[in-house]
Amino acid sequence: MLFGTLVYGFINSVILALVALGFNLTFGISGVANFSYGALYVLAGYLVWIFINLVSLPYPVSVALSILATALAGALMYRFILLRLRGMVVSEVIATFAIGLTILEIFRYLGFIGFQYTLPVFSTGSVDFLGVYVDYQRLSIVGIGLLLAAFLYVFTHHTRTGLAFRGIAQEEQTALSLGIHSDWVATLSMAFGAGLSAVAAVAILPLGTISVEGGYDVLINALAVCIVGGLGSTVGVVVASFLIGYAQMFTSSYLGASWVMIVSLVAILIILAAKPSGLFGKQRELEERI
Amino acid sequence: MKGRAFGYLGYLMAILVGVLFVFPTAELYAAENIVIGVPTSLAFLEGEESLNCVRLAVDEINAHGGVKVGDKKMPLKIESIDIRDASPGVPVPEALLGIEKIILEKKVNALVVGPFRSEALLAAMDIIAKHKVPMLGTIAMAPTSEAKLMENPEKYKYIFRTCLNGKYLVGYLIGGMKFLNQEFGFNKVFIMNQDVAWARGVAQLMIANFFEKAGWTVLGQEIYPTGSSDFSAGLMKVRAEKAEVILSIFDMPQSGILVKQWKSMKVPALMSGFISPLAGPGAWKTFDGQIGGALNSIFELGNIPSEKYAPAKDFYYAYEKKYGKPIEAGHGPAPSYESVYLLAEAITRAGSLDPDKIVEALKMTDKQGVMGRIRFSEANQVVYGDDPKVEALGCVYQWTEDGKRAIVYPPSIAEAKIELPSFVKSAK
Repeated sequence: MLFGTLVYGFINSVILALVALGFNLTFGISGVANFSYGALYVLAGYLVWIFINLVSLPYPVSVALSILATALAGALMYRFILLRLRGMVVSEVIATFAIGLTILEIFRYLGFIGFQYTLPVFSTGSVDFLGVYVDYQRLSIVGIGLLLAAFLYVFTHHTRTGLAFRGIAQEEQTALSLGIHSDWVATLSMAFGAGLSAVAAVAILPLGTISVEGGYDVLINALAVCIVGGLGSTVGVVVASFLIGYAQMFTSSYLGASWVMIVSLVAILIILAAKPSGLFGKQRELEERI
Repeated sequence: MKGRAFGYLGYLMAILVGVLFVFPTAELYAAENIVIGVPTSLAFLEGEESLNCVRLAVDEINAHGGVKVGDKKMPLKIESIDIRDASPGVPVPEALLGIEKIILEKKVNALVVGPFRSEALLAAMDIIAKHKVPMLGTIAMAPTSEAKLMENPEKYKYIFRTCLNGKYLVGYLIGGMKFLNQEFGFNKVFIMNQDVAWARGVAQLMIANFFEKAGWTVLGQEIYPTGSSDFSAGLMKVRAEKAEVILSIFDMPQSGILVKQWKSMKVPALMSGFISPLAGPGAWKTFDGQIGGALNSIFELGNIPSEKYAPAKDFYYAYEKKYGKPIEAGHGPAPSYESVYLLAEAITRAGSLDPDKIVEALKMTDKQGVMGRIRFSEANQVVYGDDPKVEALGCVYQWTEDGKRAIVYPPSIAEAKIELPSFVKSAK
């Protein structure tokens, strides 16, 4: 039981990290807290389902199109709405939350509710890992999580665009003086964040069903991980994912499934009370002010 | 001059009378219909298919001229509203508003289908009683509504239920568990259920009325909030506790994943109970063919075709012919279809649309329908049993490894024997 909890806790942590990476990337670079993140995750899931079942496209093509379409949605959202609100934090939050609500409730209105909205697993079957059976889809998620982490490291350290991302994140004025176009980088970061939410969706959703309510859960989990880890900190995201992921799994195993939903919320409350900038947060001024 | 004025007045009167006769007002037109209200969660499969079944019955009845009321025939008309009570987070008062709205604005003569959640039905009973509208519920199933009715039978006499209730579901589950004990010697169970009134009630009844008395050991109970989709921790507990049977009680869309996880984790306990997404033939494709071996319940015969009871089979394929797809819900469609016929026949027997007379006539129901023989108990609940010639019927079936649904219980309509999945061993 304990070993099983450790194994599934690890997988749950990777799932949380996957879910939160895109949210964190966008905030770290553009400063936008994208509250439509959960809706973009659900949008990606439904798009794959639509491409497979209504347009009859092959699964890999559907996945690729869905990721591209979701990334494009993120870029358009920034270009046509958020650009005008840049710097007005409350307005950005309200705007992104409203966009997210609109996306989710449109799917509800169109009747996208029910158990039939599932995505096929990449491969059926499971492997016996020292007495604990783990299905191939969960192993794939771990693999995708590791690959994504490696890709993000290489991208942000060894590509011009990635270096521009880091430049804007570190010091926007200086980056501007070096010819980095901050609006363009922010648009790209929104597209990247949205695309990452889509990658998370196509990897994780085959484990469950696509549902409108899932969008709200994803947003809460992403927020919890980023707030606990420290907004904008990639190391923080990984550490917080493991803290919350294991806390959720141990709660489910030893207290009961009905307590799991409050773990993320309790984690947010504790960190806001003890260290408002998060474990690895860069917003020191907030901490100092308090 | 005066004569000309009378002449104009005459023309006006003639035009007015002509308009009234040629273009009757909505109210006058409405009086020629019997209006059936369908307030339910229409976005959910059970709600959507139940409404389809109401339409199927109404179309069939109207094709024969409508319902005989006294010496004339009146067509049936459907009014529906989505009360959303099945959606997570939707408060009961929102559902109540929808029910009262359809009663007052559409001037319905009766309601069918009704709320999903028993919490909503219990609260709606007072509204329905206040407006004196007969209702034949086909989804909500907590027996507490019958208890409430029996506390004040005169006030709540308008509320009927044609679907299975929690008590009868417990009867089928007990029958299934006894069968598993006889066949395989199983007597250790782990309960996994959804955190909603009917599911909690069924789990409690199973513990109190069967497991404790029959010498079974309940190794644990895991309760999941609506919307949960990760069951791995619970399944690990099942394995650690060495349970032989998992009693599953769920009606949320995400619950089908439980069976997929059970199969991929090769949990050596037989999955048996009710998981709504597993009910229909489409579940095989939806869950990647990873549900073979699971035992599931169909709450009302007709939602699954039976080779041993022709009316259920005829209804099932009539639905498929009309809508071009089979019934997927295991709960709701058949009693919704049946309810329209029960209502129509009661109106004919009453010879009136007076709600009190309709209620009296409904109580006298004795009909061989698509679910079996239909009669109401003292608490206005259709009586369910094990033989379709004697009572209405639900059943237990097993998903075979080649993607078919085989009815295994009750014996009167059983088509196959239970086969254990490769990773579950008999205790005998």
